[in-house]
Amino acid sequence: MPQTTIYVSPRSLGAPDTRPPAVLTTDLARLFAGSPALAGVSLRVDAGRAVGLLGANGAGKTTLLRILATAIRPSYGHGAVDGYDLGRDAAIVRERVAYLSHATGLYDDLTARENLRFAAVMLGTEDAAARVERALDDVGLAARAGDRVRDFSAGMRKRLALGRILLGRASLVLLDEPYAALDADGMALVDQLLGAWREVGVAVLVASHTTERMASMLDGSAVLERGLVVEVTGTGVGSTPPSLPGTSRPVVAEAPR
Amino acid sequence: MNAFRNEARIALAVARKDALSELRGRHATVSTLFFAAVVLLLFGFALGPDSARLAAAAPGLLWLAVVFAGLLAVNRLHLLETDDGALEQLALYPVSRRAIYAGKALGGFGVMVLLGVVVLGAVGVLFAVDIGGAWPALLATVVLGALGVAAVGTFYAGITVRLRAREVMLPLLMLPVLAPLLLAAVKATGAALSGDPFGELASWLQLLMAFDVLMLVAGLATYGFLLEDG
Repeated sequence: MPQTTIYVSPRSLGAPDTRPPAVLTTDLARLFAGSPALAGVSLRVDAGRAVGLLGANGAGKTTLLRILATAIRPSYGHGAVDGYDLGRDAAIVRERVAYLSHATGLYDDLTARENLRFAAVMLGTEDAAARVERALDDVGLAARAGDRVRDFSAGMRKRLALGRILLGRASLVLLDEPYAALDADGMALVDQLLGAWREVGVAVLVASHTTERMASMLDGSAVLERGLVVEVTGTGVGSTPPSLPGTSRPVVAEAPR
Repeated sequence: MNAFRNEARIALAVARKDALSELRGRHATVSTLFFAAVVLLLFGFALGPDSARLAAAAPGLLWLAVVFAGLLAVNRLHLLETDDGALEQLALYPVSRRAIYAGKALGGFGVMVLLGVVVLGAVGVLFAVDIGGAWPALLATVVLGALGVAAVGTFYAGITVRLRAREVMLPLLMLPVLAPLLLAAVKATGAALSGDPFGELASWLQLLMAFDVLMLVAGLATYGFLLEDG
């Protein structure tokens, strides 16, 4: 596997302790049809740290990542990335966040190269042509660069979506089940990327069930249960004090039926 | 100036991406052209074999076919974004929402112009309408009409793309808004085909232009809100 090059903004380099937290949320809640997927998450992830987001299915991991990526808005509470408010400064937050979701966001009728070239334009990537080829090589898809994504397996699509992240200059990478659908080489690629991001001071928040595999690559972890942070371990992560009294209770509850 | 150039670059990238997907997948073109052909044939059967009657109805039939088929086209172009979470990814790029709207509308405009020209030719052949001398005015009408349908369609397809009943909701929302365009385009086409005896062609084309500008400005200003998912 080739050596991956991670491009970062100057703000991602330097002394991590002088930067604002990569993630800071207070009482973050999100309701879907009256039911809380997040019930009041107050979480801090320090700049440049790799943190695991653990929890059972339905605990709220994906909802939290989607809110941090600005894909959805919180129903209550607020959050910030690198000190920028998720609502008021959403455009700035989008420049700083890269998000790998369950869906890859790729276009089936475009080739792998065309998908990344489109992403490069949208991300304002400098020296785009070379960076796209480099990213294709980094994720092991150089030989299939001219093939349409429609013919790709789920694992190849995920590799390509990871390649798209390499085109940006994110200071926070959000990964939702990054190992899902990947073969052994693909999993090793994710490990390599996690290590590279950590090395250059990019914060990473990973939601995954593959906790043993990630353990050595993470600075800390937060456990979610029914939309609340119930445990925080390690360094670089903390549970900020909620603004409401009764800190152990959720700020939103199940809607009456 | 740099910001404008950057937005133009984004819009062209979105339009190019849609055009490439369309050329390969033919999601909109084939179904749209077949639909327009069927609409024209059915109207032709309904009106009977009287050639004078068909020629008189030709402007209305042309634009009904274009608008109905246009509904299909803009819907299909937005369905590209439902591939594997593509719409969400599009919304997460740190780019101006105006540029995304402009790119989607530009892609829709290309398909609509192609559709308008093909349907115009089909009307000429099927309804024995002589379009020889009127083609510059007819082409201007088709271009302005296509731009209006693309501007409105891109906006409303942005609203309905996440709905389950999008195929029903899109015409319900779009057709009332397109009524002024339909009126102006039919009148302009009729004036062009009859040699503009009352000198009204320019006024109808101006109305089409005003409609296009209004809808484009509304779309550019509000499309960003449609990309946000709750």
